[in-house]
Amino acid sequence: MFLKDCHNFNDFRTLAKKKLPSPIFHYIDGAADDEVTYKRNTSAFNDVDLVPNVLRGVENVDLSTTIFGKKLDLPFYCSPTALQRLFHYEGERAVGKAAQKFNTMFGVSSLATVSAEEISSIVSTPKLFQFYYHKDKGLNNAILERAKAAKFDVMALTVDTITGGNRERDIRTGFTSPPKLTLASLISFAIKPMWGINYVTRGKFELPHLQDHVKEGTSTATSVGNYFSTMLDQSMNWKDAENLCSKWGGHFALKGIMSVEDAKRAVDIGCSGIMVSNHGGRQLDGARSPFDQLAEIVDAVGDKIDVICEGGIQRGTHILKALSIGAKACAGGRLYLYALAAAGQKGVEKALGQLRTELQRDMKLMGCTKVSELNRKNLRFRNP
Amino acid sequence: MSLNNCYNFDDFRKLAKKKLPAPIFHYIDGGADDETTLRRNTDSFLNCDLVPNILASVGQPDLSTTVLGTKIDMPLFLSPTAMQRLYHHEGDKASARAAEKFGTFYSMSTMATSSIEQISNVSSGPKLFQLYIHKDQSLTDNLIDRCKSSGFKALCLTVDTVVAGNRERDHRWGFTTPPKLTLKSLLSFATHPKWAMNYLLNEKFELANVSHFTKKGSSIAKGVMEYINEQYDPAMSWKDAEYCVKRWGGPFALKGVMSVEDAKRAVDIGASAIMLSNHGGRQLDGSRAPFDQLPKIAEAVGGKIEIIIDGGIRRGTHVLKALSMGATACSFGKGFLFALGAGGQAGVEKILKIMKDEITRDMILLGKKKISDLNHTNIAYR
Repeated sequence: MFLKDCHNFNDFRTLAKKKLPSPIFHYIDGAADDEVTYKRNTSAFNDVDLVPNVLRGVENVDLSTTIFGKKLDLPFYCSPTALQRLFHYEGERAVGKAAQKFNTMFGVSSLATVSAEEISSIVSTPKLFQFYYHKDKGLNNAILERAKAAKFDVMALTVDTITGGNRERDIRTGFTSPPKLTLASLISFAIKPMWGINYVTRGKFELPHLQDHVKEGTSTATSVGNYFSTMLDQSMNWKDAENLCSKWGGHFALKGIMSVEDAKRAVDIGCSGIMVSNHGGRQLDGARSPFDQLAEIVDAVGDKIDVICEGGIQRGTHILKALSIGAKACAGGRLYLYALAAAGQKGVEKALGQLRTELQRDMKLMGCTKVSELNRKNLRFRNP
Repeated sequence: MSLNNCYNFDDFRKLAKKKLPAPIFHYIDGGADDETTLRRNTDSFLNCDLVPNILASVGQPDLSTTVLGTKIDMPLFLSPTAMQRLYHHEGDKASARAAEKFGTFYSMSTMATSSIEQISNVSSGPKLFQLYIHKDQSLTDNLIDRCKSSGFKALCLTVDTVVAGNRERDHRWGFTTPPKLTLKSLLSFATHPKWAMNYLLNEKFELANVSHFTKKGSSIAKGVMEYINEQYDPAMSWKDAEYCVKRWGGPFALKGVMSVEDAKRAVDIGASAIMLSNHGGRQLDGSRAPFDQLPKIAEAVGGKIEIIIDGGIRRGTHVLKALSMGATACSFGKGFLFALGAGGQAGVEKILKIMKDEITRDMILLGKKKISDLNHTNIAYR
């Protein structure tokens, strides 16, 4: 199987599974507990049907949308995800360059393996920096200042990782950062030699935003769940978020908002957007899916801040449904991560290109030429 | 397995799978994207139950109904489908003759592999022509005028195909028209020698209605999807539809209407019918199933325009449920195409016979004498 055989999300996933050592594949592919929420994130879209309008003259479709004051050519972007150089040696460089080609936003994680400064030097299109609130206040300040100096457009504080989710696949495979060799994982790394060669020869594995402050993740192997539980500040509260927001002074978002109450509070502390997200089903299993919760959130705050639907998106029609409910944009991690693992920058470009093609086609079939024409009249729920 | 062993849709599908080279089978069998809409089209009928009336002295029920200005002997007809010659060497001729025997509509696609004139010579049964609006206006006009002079009863304009659907099975199998040989497909063609012999030895494959206008799809290997994207006019608007209604001047249907708003507009432009359809789940995946959408549409335009349900029909009970909820008639594509692939004209006749028997039996069991006796009181939603 090659990149040319990848026609959709599942094909990229299959190819990534072939290319990655199994602990790394399952780190991407897995979620919390029984993965009920992970599955629901995608299947939620099947509870609502699209109702097209015909004969509207649709030869030219404009997919652009404006979020955080930035006009993007696409109504979806790459969510920040950790440790990308474990998936492909080009890591964040590949994803950033691909996002730039499509003029959409690129999210960089606090746990990124390429520095904010380097990203900034290669990516001039809109960039979001994802912030983890650490116990070490010096570290928090340092990260904020670096993101500011590197001219990131948006700061997103993740609020759903106050402790690590129970990712049982990582426990079974012994996944840690940096990768640690156990007997089981050794076999898996040994039968994927290309991954191993690239990992060892393409530059040292680093977490540049953190390594001057903490050993965990770079010189001391830790699981991501364990990192959240031990390094992040569990006393983080609304006051802290508000302080961070004013210290940042630019577009600020909370990532991982699910309740209407919290969405309203995000408006109050001065956020310009929220990501409705359950962290890809990787934190609280049984949590509601973003698409299921979207209408309530949009009704409450949709006219005041940008609402972004993040989680479960695998198809253009999923994006179409979220935008019809009232999301300003969609975002996803796995939607480009399997493609990154499958073929680096080329893979991510193909994944983004396919989603764009799907969305263009689907807009035409819906009888819409602009994202702003989508609304709830396009939808009918199966069981109201 | 032979035609004798085919008792229902699934049996015909299995036999067609055996007889057809894989790329061709999957072209019929596949839908868009994840095929969720394709599955839902049939599943939607399971959300409601039939409630029979007993002791109604039914006798032999009358299945006839009038649709598109024509009285047909059963409330189910053949949807227009492209390139039937690929499924059986007799192609459209086989389905037209079979439909005539059962006194119901045969529908011809713009992309048919027999011409309007050829079919009107072999069948005197009721015929409907399906039109795509091409970028080349003279081609559209030419098709309408030829249908008029060849005795076609009705015209339907397909409106859900402004761009080709994402049919991933066709990408994987390299399905093109005419069939292109790749290593993978060659193997499949080689293991179906009978199909290949018939394909090669009988008359030449061509898109007979449009071949004199365009080389695409006839003489060079071109995917159907590419044909759609290159030849069909994505700027197609209500004005164009109205133009077709006027130029045709007879019974006219819009095929692929799904929203209430559009259904009302179809009434306004003078269409006689709408075909509630998502193109068999082959265009916009995630779009609503015709039967799910039927109550809203019937509420808005029932009585003002005929409503034809196209999509997911596999059983007589599906037809009865649709008619009970306000449809005038039903049509099916895959339903007869697998039968055509499995056994040519004899296959199509057999599936029509089975469907007619099922509808008859089910009418008796429901306690209904004629189609107009069916209404929503026969139905309980779960």
